[in-house]
Amino acid sequence: MSQLIHEIKEAARDFLRDGEDRTVIGFEQGSLPLQSRPCFIRKENDLERLVWNGFCKNNLAGYLPKRKGKIAIVVKGCDSRALVELIKENQITRDQLVIIGVACNGMIDRNKIEADMDGESIVDVEEGEDVLTIKGTNSSKVFDRKEYLYDHCKVCTNPVPVIHDILLGQRDSNTPQAPVNDTFSDLEDFSALDGKERWKYFTEEMNKCIRCYACRNACPMCYCPECFVDASRPQWVGKSTDLSDTMIFHLMRAFHLAGRCVGCGACEQACPMGVDIRKLNRRLQKDVMDLFHYKAGCNLEEKTPLATFRTDDSDSFMVEP
Amino acid sequence: MNSENVKLLNKERLDDFLKVLFRDCIVFGPTRKGNMLLFDRIESIDDIVLGRGNTMNSVKDALFPQKENLFNYRHGDEGTEIQKPSAEEKGMVLFGVRPCDAQGLLLLDKVFGGGQKDPYYIDKRSKVAIIGIACENPDPACFCLALGGGPCSTKGSDLLLIDIGDKYLVKAGTPKGIAFFEEKVFEDADDEALAKASLVEKKAEESMNRAALGEAGIGEALEKRLEKLFDDPIWGEVTESCLGCGVCTYLCPTCHCFDILDETVKSTGERIRIWDSCQFPLFTRQASGFNPRPSSKERFRQRIMHKFCYLPKNENLPGCVGCGRCVTKCPVNLDIREVIKKISLREAT
Amino acid sequence: MNESGQWKPKIIAFLCNWCSYAGADLAGTSRIQYPPNIRVVRVPCSGRIDPFFILASLQNGLDGVLVSGCHPGECHYLSGNYSARRKFALLKGLLEYVGVEEGRVQFSWVSASEGVRFAKVIEEVTSHIKTLGPAKILVKNIPGGSFDVSAHP
Repeated sequence: MSQLIHEIKEAARDFLRDGEDRTVIGFEQGSLPLQSRPCFIRKENDLERLVWNGFCKNNLAGYLPKRKGKIAIVVKGCDSRALVELIKENQITRDQLVIIGVACNGMIDRNKIEADMDGESIVDVEEGEDVLTIKGTNSSKVFDRKEYLYDHCKVCTNPVPVIHDILLGQRDSNTPQAPVNDTFSDLEDFSALDGKERWKYFTEEMNKCIRCYACRNACPMCYCPECFVDASRPQWVGKSTDLSDTMIFHLMRAFHLAGRCVGCGACEQACPMGVDIRKLNRRLQKDVMDLFHYKAGCNLEEKTPLATFRTDDSDSFMVEP
Repeated sequence: MNSENVKLLNKERLDDFLKVLFRDCIVFGPTRKGNMLLFDRIESIDDIVLGRGNTMNSVKDALFPQKENLFNYRHGDEGTEIQKPSAEEKGMVLFGVRPCDAQGLLLLDKVFGGGQKDPYYIDKRSKVAIIGIACENPDPACFCLALGGGPCSTKGSDLLLIDIGDKYLVKAGTPKGIAFFEEKVFEDADDEALAKASLVEKKAEESMNRAALGEAGIGEALEKRLEKLFDDPIWGEVTESCLGCGVCTYLCPTCHCFDILDETVKSTGERIRIWDSCQFPLFTRQASGFNPRPSSKERFRQRIMHKFCYLPKNENLPGCVGCGRCVTKCPVNLDIREVIKKISLREAT
Repeated sequence: MNESGQWKPKIIAFLCNWCSYAGADLAGTSRIQYPPNIRVVRVPCSGRIDPFFILASLQNGLDGVLVSGCHPGECHYLSGNYSARRKFALLKGLLEYVGVEEGRVQFSWVSASEGVRFAKVIEEVTSHIKTLGPAKILVKNIPGGSFDVSAHP
């Protein structure tokens, strides 16, 4: 791990030395155990702040839309796919970027660890290759790393960045790897449920939502200068936590991300209430694959599915009397 | 210690005490929903979860709900008819409240019960009893000590339960709290119990992370420095990673901004009050489209100024209680304590 | 709810001006009978339909939504219905996934000369929605408010 951090710092150093007014966007140590966080570095002296570990969960691509100047950005697999989509949507140009790609072995879900701490606060953490040793207020516990990854990491199809100027690190063969052609097996049980039960599940989830918009703001693809929730003429969706309004907010946000969502999980990570947001996005990812044979963020040439069409697209869903 | 203010409650009798509360009042308390510990309305004693850190949401929800019906209306030919919501008859008990959250209510009392009284808040507040529970194991993100609070502080609580083993030492913070001691479940406290409680308090305070906030701490010096540094580039530096969501404000025990909306269908509807956040772009956007706080830099600065400069000046109370929720739940770990520390060390340019 | 107290579905039909609306008009002038439960909203093109229109309809308690446009290849604006087709396919799947009953939200192609076909589409959509019953999912309930449009004078 320390070799990898060293390589990241060297790559960033070369970048900063190569010109003036340059910014490195990477990760630094957070202020609490199990937390790393985004950092913005412009001076060589600050490069020592850069870290790389199992807590570098944020999708840094979200900081790029409409950013000026030359930027080096540290990306995992999912982040790099978001980069591809952002470049296609003209939110950032390819030549502004030096992409430091790091092969990812999954990020640790802090909430899952905390749930299994028997109420003890987490004081310190030691991250090994396969296990995490967590020191609580009274005792130490060992956690099997791969069991405590984020749900979206467990179904990740592209842990190695698909676009990069430098590629560092390696995907550990011990970490179970989902096939690159997403099988969407995580949706099977849920889809088999009766419509009423699915609605009941979404009701329970959306009743937790406090409309803080952390999901939207953390999402790299949500960069609209005015979001539809803030429109008042007409008002598309009410602002209160009314279930119908909240449901429509999540439905429409997911719909606006159709064909653009790369499944990075930034939304779920940001949500303070543990809402199962990705349930909607996963379904749309599957439909976009089944209907339009498209997976977001793989290819700079492929057009976003809702920005194009084929004359032989399927009509099977339509009324045919 | 005046024996009037302090009693003992055997843990085995806690349920009896709770039964009394449930009999007479609506009870709010910490309860588990999925993976989350939330402060919510409790229907049954078994749903109360104690000893598991602090709830995700603060207790302000009970007195200042996120969505509140102000009144219903109907437009007719003769004018508009208004129907106020019926007042809740029963009293309310907020049980298992941490000292930081109880202290937060003192600030809300100033905001909603000060010069301009908010009838919705006042109505609930007049009928509520706060039964707190002390923190033996403060979280790494907690910093209540710097804000005049503490893991065993009674500020804002009518009663505070301190876990001393097989019993709770129960301190009354108000006459309303003392009135509870009429219940037969309480015993007299002896010196040994008092000593145990002191030890719990000492141990808890010593375990708290003071380094994060820096030595200067929070007070008048910080207020003056904040005023001096209003235009300092430090704000751009510390807020660069801020996403501009509303998590910090919504989970905060003292944040209290709200919006009022009418939701109408044809000629009937309701006027509701909902939480708003100074971190949202629309918060200060003017009708012309101009926004004096155009980015998260200005909005985050506003939050800090409001909490640590304007509120202390106007209300003589800090606008923060050090609960640490904004620190643990910020998606990018923007730590308010680190910002305060940086500000206190920054020389004005 | 009509005077006799029996539920009759209320379906909103977004019809594109150049094809489906004209087709509906032809059904009318040809005196072809079809169920009277639809409320027509004329739009320039099926591509004009924002998913919000459909969601707002459901939120306001409408029992069904129909969007009808020109046949692929015949769009007055050349490709509006192609874009719409992709949006609708995804939206329909998403709504049904969330629990909105299958058949509440429907899409069709009806051309200007297809008066008979239009009536058949309405017949099929209306009879299906009759079996589903009044809409409950996604309906926004404002206390003291009334979404029952038929009760309004």
